[in-house]
Parts: sequence; C-alpha cells; structure tokens
Amino acid sequence: MTQIELRGVQKFFGAVQVIKDLNLKISDNEFIVLLGQSGCGKTTTLRAVAGLETIDEGDILIDGKPVQHLKAADRDIAMVFQSFSLYPHMNVYENIAFPLRATRKSRSEIDQEVRSVAKTLQISDLLAKKPSALSGGDMQRVAIGRALVRRPKAMLMDEPIGALDAKLREEMRAEIKRLHIKQGSTTIYVTHDQIEAMSLADRIVIMHEGVLQQVGTPDEVYSRPANLFVAQFVGSPVMNVADAAVTEKASSASVTVGDAATGFEFPSALLSKLNGHAGGQLALGIRPEGVLIRRDAAEGFLPVETQIVEPLGSFDIVDLRVGSKMLRARTKSGFVSGPGEKVFARIDPSQAHFFDKASGKSLEVRL
Amino acid sequence: MAAVRTSSEIGINRVAIVAVLVVTVIFLAPIYWIASTAFKPRNLATTIPPTVVFQPEISPFVKLFTKRSQMRSPPSPEEYAAAPWWERVVFDGGEKIVRDGKGEVQWSGYPSRFLNSLIIAITSTVLAVGMGTFTAYGFSRFKVKGEADLLFFILSTRMLPPVVVAIPMFLMYRAVGLNDTHVGLIILYTAFNLSFSVWLMKGFMDEIPKEYEEAALVDGYTRMEAFFKIVLPEAATGIAATAVFCFITAWNEYAFALIMTNRRAQTAPPFIPSQVGSGLPDWTVIAAGTFLFLLPVAIFTFLLRNHLLRGMSFGAIRK
Repeated sequence: MTQIELRGVQKFFGAVQVIKDLNLKISDNEFIVLLGQSGCGKTTTLRAVAGLETIDEGDILIDGKPVQHLKAADRDIAMVFQSFSLYPHMNVYENIAFPLRATRKSRSEIDQEVRSVAKTLQISDLLAKKPSALSGGDMQRVAIGRALVRRPKAMLMDEPIGALDAKLREEMRAEIKRLHIKQGSTTIYVTHDQIEAMSLADRIVIMHEGVLQQVGTPDEVYSRPANLFVAQFVGSPVMNVADAAVTEKASSASVTVGDAATGFEFPSALLSKLNGHAGGQLALGIRPEGVLIRRDAAEGFLPVETQIVEPLGSFDIVDLRVGSKMLRARTKSGFVSGPGEKVFARIDPSQAHFFDKASGKSLEVRL
Repeated sequence: MAAVRTSSEIGINRVAIVAVLVVTVIFLAPIYWIASTAFKPRNLATTIPPTVVFQPEISPFVKLFTKRSQMRSPPSPEEYAAAPWWERVVFDGGEKIVRDGKGEVQWSGYPSRFLNSLIIAITSTVLAVGMGTFTAYGFSRFKVKGEADLLFFILSTRMLPPVVVAIPMFLMYRAVGLNDTHVGLIILYTAFNLSFSVWLMKGFMDEIPKEYEEAALVDGYTRMEAFFKIVLPEAATGIAATAVFCFITAWNEYAFALIMTNRRAQTAPPFIPSQVGSGLPDWTVIAAGTFLFLLPVAIFTFLLRNHLLRGMSFGAIRK
C-alpha cells in the first residue's frame, strides 16, 4: 500500500528551473507514466522521487511521510535505469541478490527470493551468466528482477525499454504490463514514447518545460487534450492544428480554416459553446481520423485536392490542401490513388477541439 | 563475408612485421646483454668481440650476495675440498668469502638494498594509487569548486624536473630527520606519483557510468559501500595500469635515492653502480645485480598484463 505525493516541487539546475511547482498524487498500485520530450523534467522528477536528486522547494511524500531529506537507500524504492545498470563484474544471480545483501536477510532467504523472482521473469537459466553475455531483453528482465526482488514500496522506471530495438520494445512493453497486473506495485514510468505511455499507463502525466500539462487516463489525454501542447504531443499521426474563424450561418456555424474561401459546416451550438471566443484568436484541432473524405460531393463536404499520400499499411495518411493550409486525413489504405486527386472532405464536429491561441488552453467545446 | 586482401596490403603487412621485429631486437638487446653477462665467467665479460657462446656460471650471483676479499695465494687443497660448492666458485675467481669470528658468511649490501627497494616502491605505489583513486572519484562524481584549476594545480607538480628541488628537499629532509629513512623516500615517491595517479584514475572513473552507483544507492547501499562494492571492481583495470606505472617510477628512481639515502634506506639503483668503484670492477656482479633488479617489474607487469592491455585501450571503444 504505497501512495506517493508531490507537493509544490521545484528544482533548479543553476539558473534553469527544470521542475516548476509540480503537484501530483499517485495512488496505491497505480501505474503512472511521465511523458514528455527530452529536457521536460520528467527524469529529474523521477530521480527526485528516488532520492538521486535533491529538490529546492516542496515536499515528496511516500505514504504521507515527507522523504525529501531521506537518502535514496532509506526510501525503500527500486529503480530500473535506461542503461539497465547491471553490475558488469557480477553474474545475474549476484546482480539480483545485490539489493537483498544490503538487508539482514540470511543466505538461504536471499537464495529463495532470487530464484522466485527469476522464475517469475523466466530468467532462471541465466543466473550464472555475466550481464555482458545477455541480450538486451534479458538484461532488462534482470534489471526488473533486481528492482522487484526487494519488494519495494514503489518501482521507478526511467525509459527502461528505450534502448531496445522496436520489436523487442513491443514485447517488453507487454511483459511490463503483464508483470504490473500480476505483482501490482505503485509504479512511476518515464518515457518520451507516447505509444508506450498510452499502452501502459493507468494515468499519464504530460510535462513540458518543467510544467505539468495534463494528468489523465490515456483516453482522457487523447480525446480531451487540455492544451495545444498535449493535443499535438499525444497521438500519431499528429493532430491537425490550424487557425480558425467561426461565423454564423442560417441554421449552422461555419468554421474557416486558415485562409480558405469556404468553411466547414458545424452545428450552430458551437457558437454558444465558444462563449464569445468565436471572433478571437482561435485554433481548431482535429485528429486525422476526424477528417472525413469521400469521392463524390455530399451535403457539408468541401471539395479539396490531395497533395501527398503516405501509405502506412493498415491505413493511409493523405494531405489535403485547404486554402494554403494542409489537413492530414486518415483513410482506408488505397482509398486515394495519388496526389492531385479531387475529393470531398468535412470535419467531424464531435472530434473537433477548439483552443485559445494565446494561452493554448482548450476551450472544452464538446459537440 | 571474409575480407579479401590485396597483394599490396599483404606486402605492407610483411614490412610492418619486419619493422616490429627490428624494433624488438633493438629494445631487447641491452636486456640480453645484461642477462648474459650476469651468467658469464669474469674473464669473458669484457672480451672484444663479445663472447656469445659460453658455459653459464652462477658465480656472479654468489659474489653479488656475499662480501669477498682478494686472495694473495690460492687456497690450500684441504681448504678448497672442505668448502661448499658456492664458496669454491669464488675461490676459482681468486677471491674468498669474508666470514666473521664465528665463521658466519658476511652478506653484501645488495640483499638489504633490494629489500629497501621493494618496501619503498610497494608502499609508495599503494599510497599513490589509493589516494589517487579516492581523489579521482571525488573529482569525477561531485561538483568541486574550481575543479579545473585544482586538477591543473595537481598536474603542475609534474611540470618541473624533480631534480630541480633536490637540494631544498635534501635540506628540509635533513632538518626534520627524514634523511636516509624509508618513510622519507616513501613520502617523496608518493608525492611524485600522486598527480599522475589522480589524472590517470580520473580518466578511468569518468568512464564508469554513474548509474552503477546510483543503482546501488537505490538498492539500499551508502555511497561508501557503493564505492567499494561497485566502483572499485569496475576500476580494477585502471588501478592495475596506474599501479604498474607508479611502481616502475618508484622502483627505477635514481637521483633522489642517491641524494637522500646512503645506507639504512638506500635502494638498489644507487647501490648497484656504487659497486663499480670498489676495486677493479667486476662487471658480472653488476650485471647480476641489475638482472635481479629487472625481475620484479617484469613479473608485476606480466601478472597484470590482461588488465594493462584493457587499460591502454580504455575509452577507445564505444560501449
């Protein structure tokens, strides 16, 4: 039963503030992913929780007790590093046993626990090997084994599968998830890979330049991004974002993207929900799957021309020219034959997001 | 796919092998000269042209370890017959081994000088490498104010030839009573080697990822424990390389040993040439002393050769 709480945490490296007033509550058994670009402060946050980095302001609480003044060794937390950090001069058995040797456990107890962890991770046949003789995936399993063996209060993982190749990464991702469901411990996981974040997390914490942008379930973060940064950072292919102007029409609203001549049709409820923002600085965000295309003209569809087609196997990404702006749409593979084709497009109002351009904040319009 | 080598590449390769052989011969020739002279009869040591084929003798080593005196007349047949084999080889050279009143063999100065060399070189190496390792770890892992300046200052102690400070050092040592003491030379050699040791170990420490210690810290160990359990084993290669260099420097040091010591703490380097001056020089004895003196460094380096090879190429490979 471990809860971790960060209260008003601030951290400076010289004059640079890398964590800005971070507040976060992590509940027991929760799998939290800190997501952000490199240099956003996510790793520093993780290291601060681990006790490898001091903080300049605020509190870090584990089960309600402030630990920011405790040494790493006294926090009862385990960490898996991106480089795995297996001790090269010890074999796998000794590596896993190493954290237990710091405790007052007997030899037989240690042996039993090492073997049980090895069994869970299916690395029993590797125990006598040196880390240098292991594959990347096995090294990672050993690193996780070393973290698990002590049954720590919480597990911290710093891009643990970032160094693996794509296929192995996918396998290990599933394995980490399986392990978490089976062992269930409070976990903080750092990554810059949003797919990893989406697939693993109970909740995703998105950080940018030391500031927390949004905390939410993968679904919340994907379908209700709190601001432009989150909207464009989460999701692949990236969300279309364009300057937009909303005008009132007879029974509907029209949303003009960039300098396009005509606008896309939206329900008239949009105007009231925008609450006066319509004439101001507005940005429209729409994921490629929210841009609908068809071959023949239909009510509400605007004629557009295809520019680039990127076949991605299970689907295609098609760039559509709307005024001087490009909108990327997701289509069935082979739906558009190539560039220069005339098709008809509309924006699915239920998938559209509106942001205040000045602050970048979502206007929380749901249609 | 096997690499295909062109005939010109093979030619270059052969030239390189010949060049290596020539250089090897040039470097090994003096060592062969010393080693062969150490086993020659005295009358063959200085022949021109040099004698290459001869019956090896052990007499130079017997003479090296004992005090001897010239005999005016050869020993009586009874005396010769009663003498052990090692005394007979000395008789054969027209000398006899000096014995005290109780008939005990008198040792020469060499064994004690050799022992002094061992004590002083080993102790100063352990101290220099030990302190160097800790200092390098500190510089490598912690933010030290004025780190670059401090490191430069440490290095600057190597910038003048040590002999320049010989006279002031001698006067200071005399004033504090460190002249002709083991401790005196140990301090001196440790000081000389320390800057070298710090710099070399700093390079090795920087190569050890700090995540290893961080993993140990999170695993429940203190920094000191992490240092001894993780960093030291990882730095073994660097420590071995540094130790060999420090040992060689301390072992071979001549100038300060000559000035600072004369008897009690005298090391082998100033002692061996001093024997040239006593009577007609017996080059075989000097060669025997030099030959034995070469061995510890050779053995030490041989034992650490695997570490050394890795140590020399450390940092050259991307991990």
